[in-house]
Amino acid sequence: MILPYLGRAFTNLFRKPATEKFPLEDAPKAQPNYRGRIAYDPNLCINCGLCSRVCAPQAITRTIKPLPNGDSEITLTFDMTSCTFCGTCADFCVKHAIKMTDDYMIVGTKPEDFLVSGTFIKKKPAPPKFTPEQIAAMKAAAEKKRQAAQNAAAGAQPAGDAAKAAPASSEATKPAAPADKPAEAAAKKPESAPADKKE
Amino acid sequence: MFQNLIDKSMKKSPWLFHINAGSCNGCDIELVSVLTPRYDAERFGFHLTGTPRQADIVVVSGPITMQSRDRLIRTLAQVPEPKCVVSLGSCPRSGNVFKGSFAIDGPLEKYTHVDVSIGGCTPKPEAIVAGLAKAASILEEKRKAMRKGGIEAVRKMEAEAEKPDAETSGSTADAPAGEKAVKEAK
Repeated sequence: MILPYLGRAFTNLFRKPATEKFPLEDAPKAQPNYRGRIAYDPNLCINCGLCSRVCAPQAITRTIKPLPNGDSEITLTFDMTSCTFCGTCADFCVKHAIKMTDDYMIVGTKPEDFLVSGTFIKKKPAPPKFTPEQIAAMKAAAEKKRQAAQNAAAGAQPAGDAAKAAPASSEATKPAAPADKPAEAAAKKPESAPADKKE
Repeated sequence: MFQNLIDKSMKKSPWLFHINAGSCNGCDIELVSVLTPRYDAERFGFHLTGTPRQADIVVVSGPITMQSRDRLIRTLAQVPEPKCVVSLGSCPRSGNVFKGSFAIDGPLEKYTHVDVSIGGCTPKPEAIVAGLAKAASILEEKRKAMRKGGIEAVRKMEAEAEKPDAETSGSTADAPAGEKAVKEAK
């Protein structure tokens, strides 16, 4: 009757201990898909701000510092003592700049030990291709041309020539409409200025 | 005469006292699992004691709720010096998802000096063991300092530990300098 228990006792005598040897050895690896310390790659970030928007414990701080040459230095700081490790920021990051690593050893004595941060420079946006004065002049020219066409049509209508005026006006707007870069087209051809007016 | 013997013995038995300051129980479960046979922190002498008067290391979990604040302060005052305070999980340091709540009066730094913080929500038992080992080494240093210079030496040590590093102080000094910086604290 006692024999099976004796067998178990005997095997336990020669078995390895169940205790992890962790502080004396390396820490064991975390399970797959474990959500540990955040890794942030500032080179992929596009500063959309979605991560800080979805962060429930508000662990993400974004600092935008204007530089003298018009660029701005953007720093994202992830506070690991504030993080819930829900992974929502990594899920929402369209550029996959945020990743959850399997590093769970988040132990430290100073607040700086718990910050994950990255900085990148956002270039100054390109200046507009036309000054407001130029745009106003182009608009005035377009208006003048339209008026002229209208007058011509009105003058020609009694003669029954309205059909001729209609294609003429459509011809003027046609080159600008499908153009991918209307601004450049407008610069070369003043007759396609109505495209600018639409914008 | 017995001082060396006492010091050696104290080093091998840092006793823990655990304060739950409104925790969700996640960190508490993980702390108890540290004492189970698998992680077995008792082989390093960590023993969960029932009273703060016998404790060397105080482990605080949870954001400090209004209800637990006074009990926390009273309990911390009962722990004999030199003591070591460990914050367990994200909550005591920041409030975690409860940040900004009317029922929270954190962080823990407001009430005491925090020696070791263990991040994670919740931390893995291995991380807790590592944090406790660090706390034990800090406790030993504090005990040595107290032997030499009394409680003032311990306070001085704590103040020095709170100072930011030389390399990181540059980045913290940047923050006030860039006052024009548009800071989005969300």
